[in-house]
Amino acid sequence: MEHTANYIGLIPLFPLIGALVLGLMHMLTCTNEKPLSEKLYGTLACIGPVLSFFLALVVFFHLKGLPAPERFLTHDAFTWFAVGDLHVNMGFLADPLSSLMLLFVTFIGSLIHIYSVGYMSEDQNFGKFFAYLNLFLGSMLILVLGSGPVVMFVGWEGVGLCSYLLISFYSEDTDNVLAGNKAFIVNRIGDLGFVLGMSFLFWAIGSGGFDYLSLKENAHNLTPTIGIVVCLLLFVGACGKSAQIPLYVWLPDAMAGPTPVSALIHAATMVTAGVYMVARFSFIYAHVPFAGSIVAWVGILTALLAAIFGMFQRDIKKILAYSTVSQLGYMFAGVGIAAYSAGIFHVFTHAFFKALLFLGAGSVIYALHHEQDIWKMGGLKEKLPKTYGCMVIGALALAGVPPFSGFFSKDEILFSALASGHTGIWFIGVLVAGMTAYYTFRMIFVVFHGTPRDQESFDHAHEPPSVMTLPLIILAIGAAFTGVLNLPGIFGGSLAVSHWLAPSLTEHHPHVSAWLEFFGIVASVAAVAVGLTIAYKKFGKGADEPEYTGFAKFGFNKFYVDEIYNAILVQPYKAFGAVISRFIEPNVTDIHVKFSTWLYKKAGSAFKSFQVGYIRVYAIYMIIGLSLMSLFLSQSIN
Amino acid sequence: MIQDYLTLSVILFCIGILGVISRRNVFTVFMSIELMLNAANLAFIAFSRLHESMDGHVLAMMVMAVAAAECALGLAVVILLHKHKGNLDTNVFSLLKG
Amino acid sequence: MFEYALSVMIFLPILSGLVLLLSPVSKGAARLVGFLVSVVILLLGVEIFLGFTGTGGMEYVQNRPWVESLGISYGLGVDGISLLVLMAATVLFPMVFSVLKTQSKGYYANLLITQGAMIGAICATDLVLFYIFWEIMLLPIFFMIGLYGGENRLSATLKITIYTIAGSLLMLAALIYVGVSYHAQFGKWTFDIVQLAALDLSGGWAILAFIMFMIAFAIKTPLFPFHTWLPDAYTEAPTAATFVLSAIMAKIGVYGVIRFVVPVFEIEFARFAILLSLAGVTGMIYCGLAAISQKDMKRMLAFSSASHMGIIALGVFCMNVQALTGTLFQIAAHATSTGVLFLFVGLMEERMKTRDIDDLGGIAYKAPIFATFFAITMLASVGLPGTSGFIGEFLIILGAIKFNAFIGVLAGTALVIGVCYMLWMFQRVFFEKSNARTVEFQDLSTSELLTFLPVILLIVAMGIFPQAFIKKIEPAAQQQVAKVFAMTQAQVADTKVPNPGHNNHKN
Repeated sequence: MEHTANYIGLIPLFPLIGALVLGLMHMLTCTNEKPLSEKLYGTLACIGPVLSFFLALVVFFHLKGLPAPERFLTHDAFTWFAVGDLHVNMGFLADPLSSLMLLFVTFIGSLIHIYSVGYMSEDQNFGKFFAYLNLFLGSMLILVLGSGPVVMFVGWEGVGLCSYLLISFYSEDTDNVLAGNKAFIVNRIGDLGFVLGMSFLFWAIGSGGFDYLSLKENAHNLTPTIGIVVCLLLFVGACGKSAQIPLYVWLPDAMAGPTPVSALIHAATMVTAGVYMVARFSFIYAHVPFAGSIVAWVGILTALLAAIFGMFQRDIKKILAYSTVSQLGYMFAGVGIAAYSAGIFHVFTHAFFKALLFLGAGSVIYALHHEQDIWKMGGLKEKLPKTYGCMVIGALALAGVPPFSGFFSKDEILFSALASGHTGIWFIGVLVAGMTAYYTFRMIFVVFHGTPRDQESFDHAHEPPSVMTLPLIILAIGAAFTGVLNLPGIFGGSLAVSHWLAPSLTEHHPHVSAWLEFFGIVASVAAVAVGLTIAYKKFGKGADEPEYTGFAKFGFNKFYVDEIYNAILVQPYKAFGAVISRFIEPNVTDIHVKFSTWLYKKAGSAFKSFQVGYIRVYAIYMIIGLSLMSLFLSQSIN
Repeated sequence: MIQDYLTLSVILFCIGILGVISRRNVFTVFMSIELMLNAANLAFIAFSRLHESMDGHVLAMMVMAVAAAECALGLAVVILLHKHKGNLDTNVFSLLKG
Repeated sequence: MFEYALSVMIFLPILSGLVLLLSPVSKGAARLVGFLVSVVILLLGVEIFLGFTGTGGMEYVQNRPWVESLGISYGLGVDGISLLVLMAATVLFPMVFSVLKTQSKGYYANLLITQGAMIGAICATDLVLFYIFWEIMLLPIFFMIGLYGGENRLSATLKITIYTIAGSLLMLAALIYVGVSYHAQFGKWTFDIVQLAALDLSGGWAILAFIMFMIAFAIKTPLFPFHTWLPDAYTEAPTAATFVLSAIMAKIGVYGVIRFVVPVFEIEFARFAILLSLAGVTGMIYCGLAAISQKDMKRMLAFSSASHMGIIALGVFCMNVQALTGTLFQIAAHATSTGVLFLFVGLMEERMKTRDIDDLGGIAYKAPIFATFFAITMLASVGLPGTSGFIGEFLIILGAIKFNAFIGVLAGTALVIGVCYMLWMFQRVFFEKSNARTVEFQDLSTSELLTFLPVILLIVAMGIFPQAFIKKIEPAAQQQVAKVFAMTQAQVADTKVPNPGHNNHKN
C-alpha cells in the first residue's frame, strides 16, 4: 500500500539548485579581481540543505501519521527511460528507512554547511567548495530517495563524483589529486559490481517493474544461484562505496580533502550508503543467508583490520578515518547477519558521533593552523575547552561507553550476532570494541592531555568562532542521547527505531533470554573498560610517540597494503598499457596489415625481375603475348 | 599464288622482328620496324588483289602515312636521345628497369 | 514542404562545397558559407527530429528509380535506427565552423562535402547508393589529413586510405554477390534494403560475403583488430577531420552493420555474434589500456574513442532490444562527448601549440569555464549518470549480460578503464601547478562559450531526459530484434525438425 506525495521530489532538488547557482556564480566570477562576498555564498549554500531538512521532517510526520504497513510515499517525476521490459522512472520513494536516512543526512548536512562557513573562510575557492557540497547533498538525497536501483545509482555515482572533487579540492598538490583519483577509481570498481548486480537482478525479476516495491513483490521468483550472484555483486558495490576489504584503501587517503568534507562525506553520510543499500535490498539478502554471512564476515574482518591500523596512526584525521572504516565494518556485520535495523541504527548514531569527532578534529586543526600530527599536539584542553568537551562525548560514544549512543547501537549488532549464533563474529566484535576504546582515547589523551609538545603553535591556539562550535555542541547532544531512541527491552525501552524501520525491511527478531543479552553487555563493557584503561595508562599523563617494532611496525605501515596494491595492480596496469602501446600495438595487432604489405612487396619484387629495362625484351614479351593471342583466336575460330 | 606473297610478307616480318629484338642500335631497330610495317603492307596488297577490292590499298596507304609520321616523330626522338646520352645503344636507355 | 528535406541536406553541402572549391573566395567567406549551410542543415535536422513519429518504419521517404536495368534506385529515408546518427551528423557541425578559424578555404569546403556525403550514407535505403556515398565521404577526409594534417600526415593518410579502400572493395564484392543472389532467387534486380531482407542466404559464399561486409564496417568503426589506422589518422588529422572521423564517421560503420548486414545476413550474424562481441570487448579493453600510456592528449583521446567504439559495437552483436537501443543512443551520446573533447583539444593546441600532457597543468585555475565544460564532457565520456554517456553504456552492459554473462562482465569493466586514463589526464592537464606555458591560458571567449554551451546542455539533457530520444528509436530497435529473432528461430526449427509442416505448431 503506497501513497503518492509529489513534494518528496523537491528534497534533492533544493541542494541541486543551490549547487547550480553557486557553481555558476563561482565559475563566472572566480577570475575577477574581487570575488563575491563569503556571506552571500554562505547564505545561499545553507538555504538548500535547511529547506531539505524541513521537508524531511514533513516526510517523517507524514509517514508517522499513516498506519505502519502503508508508510510508503512515492513520486514518479517522469519516465527516465523505457526499453523493452526495462522501465525506469525518475521516481522517489520515502518509506521509514529512507525517511530515517533523510532526517540525519539533511540535519548533519545542514550543520556541516554552517560549520564550513567558518572553517573555509578566507579560502580562495569558497564558492566552489559550497557548490560541491550542495551537489553532494543533492546526490546523497537522490541516493537515499531513489525508488529503484537505477535511480539510486545516479546518486551513488553523484556522491562518488563529489567525493572526488572535494578530495582533490586543493588540487595544486599532486598527492591530493592522486587521492581523489584513487577514491574515484576504487569507487568505480565497486560501481562495476553494482551495475552488474543490477543487470543480473533485472534479467531475473525486473521485467515486472524495476523499482524496490515491485522487486520486493517478485523477489520470491529469484533462484538461489542468481540470488547469490546478485547479492555478492551488489556487495562489491557496497564495498567500494563503504570502504570494506578489499576496497577500503581509498578512505584513509580521502582525508586529503577539507575536514568538513571528511566529516560529512567520508564519515557521516556517503560511506554509509553501502550499508543503506544492503538494507534496501534486504528482501533479497534475507533469502540468501550465505551471501549475508559473507557480508558479515567481510564486515567484521574489516572492522578488525581497520582497528589495528587505527591504533598506530599519527594523523588525527587518519585515526578517525580508520575508525570510520572499522565502524562501517560493524554495520556490515549487522546487516550481514540480517539484523538490518541494528545496522541502520548504527549508521544513524555513527553519523552523529563521527561527524562530531571530525568537526572537533577540524576545530583542533583550525586552531593549530593546519597541523594534523597528534604527536605535535598536547594539553589542548585548556585552550579549547568547548572542543575538548564535545570531543570527549564523541569519543565516549565511539568507544561504546554506556549510556552514550554508540554503546546501544553497537551492542545491538553484537547482541544480534550472539543471538543468531554467529559466535565468531560476536567475539571479534567485542575484541574490536576494546581496540576502538583504546585508539579513540589514545587520540584524546595525546591531543588534549599532558603537556604541549609544540609550544609555539600551542600558544597561538584559540577556540574557533561560534559558527563552528555551535554545530559541535548540537552534534554532541545528538551523540550523547540518540542511543535512547532504540533502547532494548532490557533497559526498559521498546526498540523504537527498529519498529519504525520494520515496514521497509525484511527481518526477524530472534527471541532469546535476557541472560544472554546481559552477558553480551557485560562482555562488551568489559572490553571497552580494558581498552580505556590501557589507553589511560600509556598516554593519560602525556607520552611521546613510541618506537614501533615487530607487529606494531607492521600495523603502523598498514600491513603494506597500499604498497602491495601498487605493486600488483597499479604498476602492472600501467606497465601493461605501456607494453600495449609501445610493443603490441606497433608490432602485433598490426600483423594483418604488416602481412598484406609484406605480400605486396614480395609479389612486387617477384614481378620486378621481368622489368629489365631493355626495350627489346619488352618487344619479346609483346610478341609472345600477341602470338599466344593469335593462337587462341585461331583455335577458337576453328 | 597468294601463298608466295604471304610467305614473303611473313619472312619480311620475321626479319623485322629479329632486327628489333637483336639489334642494339636505335636506327637499326627503327629500320626493322619499318620492315615490319612494309611486310604488313605487302600482305594487305596481296589480299586486296585476291579479293579484288580496293580496301587493302586504302589500308596500305594509311599505313604508309602513319609510317611517315612515325618516322618524323621517331627521328626527332632519336636525335634528342643522342643529345642526351651521346650514343644510340638501346642498352643505355634502361630507365624502366625495375 | 519537407518531403525533400533529406535530398537538400545531402546535396546542399556537397554543391556548396564544390562551388567554394571552384570559386576564388577568401577563407573567411568560405567559413561563413560553411557555417550558414551547416546551420540550415541543423534546422532541417531538428525539423526532421521533431516531425519524426517513431512508429518503427521509414519516414521522409524518397524513392525513384535510377539505374532501372540493375534495380538501383535513389532511395532515401529515416527510421529509428538512422535518426540519431543523422542527428549526430547534422547537429554538431555548426560548432566546427564556429570554433576553428585558422584554416584555409579548402578545409571548409571539404568539411561541407564530407557532411553531405555522410548524410547521404546515413539516409540511403539502397545498398548501391549507400556504397557511393560511403566512398565519397572518405575523399574529403583524405584531402584534409593529407593537406592540413600534422607532421606525419602523409603516412597517416596513406594508411587510412588504403585500409578503408581495401574494406570498401571487399564490400563492393559482397554487395554484388547480394544483388546477384537476389536476382537468382527472385528473378529481378534490386538493391533496396527492405526487399533484400527477404533473401535467404546460406552456405560458404554467404559466410564469405558476410565476412567481407563485416571487415568493411569493422575497419570503419573500427573494431579490434582493424583499428590500427585509427591512432595515427586521428592524431595527425586536423581537428575538424578528427572530429568528423570520431564523432560521425565511425558511427556510420556501426550503423551500416545494423542497417545492411543484420537484415540480410541474420543467420551468419547470429552464428558469429559471440566472436564479434568478443572482438568488441577486447577492443574496448585493449584500447583503454593503450590510452593510459599515451603522452599526446589527442592520441589518448583517439584510443579512448576506439575503446568506446568497441562497446558501442558490442551492443549490436548482443541482439536484444536493450543493447541495440543502447547502441543507437550511445552513437549520439558518444558523438557529443568524444567529438567535443577533440574540439577542446584542438582549442588547447591552438592556444598553447602543444598537446603533450606533460607540458600542461593547472589550466583549471586560469580557465574555470573551459575546465568545467571539459569536465562535464569528460564525465559524459566515462558514463556518469546524469550525462548522456550513462544511459547507452548501461543499456549495452545490461543487454550484454543477457546475451552472455561473461561478455557482460568484461563489458562492465569499461566503467573502470575509462575512468583510469581520463582522470589521470585531467589531473595532469587541469590540476596540479600551472607552468609558464599554461599561466597565460585564455578562458573561452564569448563566441566560443555560446558555441559550446548548447552541446554541454545537450549532454546533460540527454542524460536527464533520454526518453525523448529513446521513444523515437526504440520501436525500430524492437522490430529489428524481432525480425532477427524470428529468422534465426525459423532456421533453428528448420534444422531441428525435418518436416516443415510442424513449424507452425511450434511457433
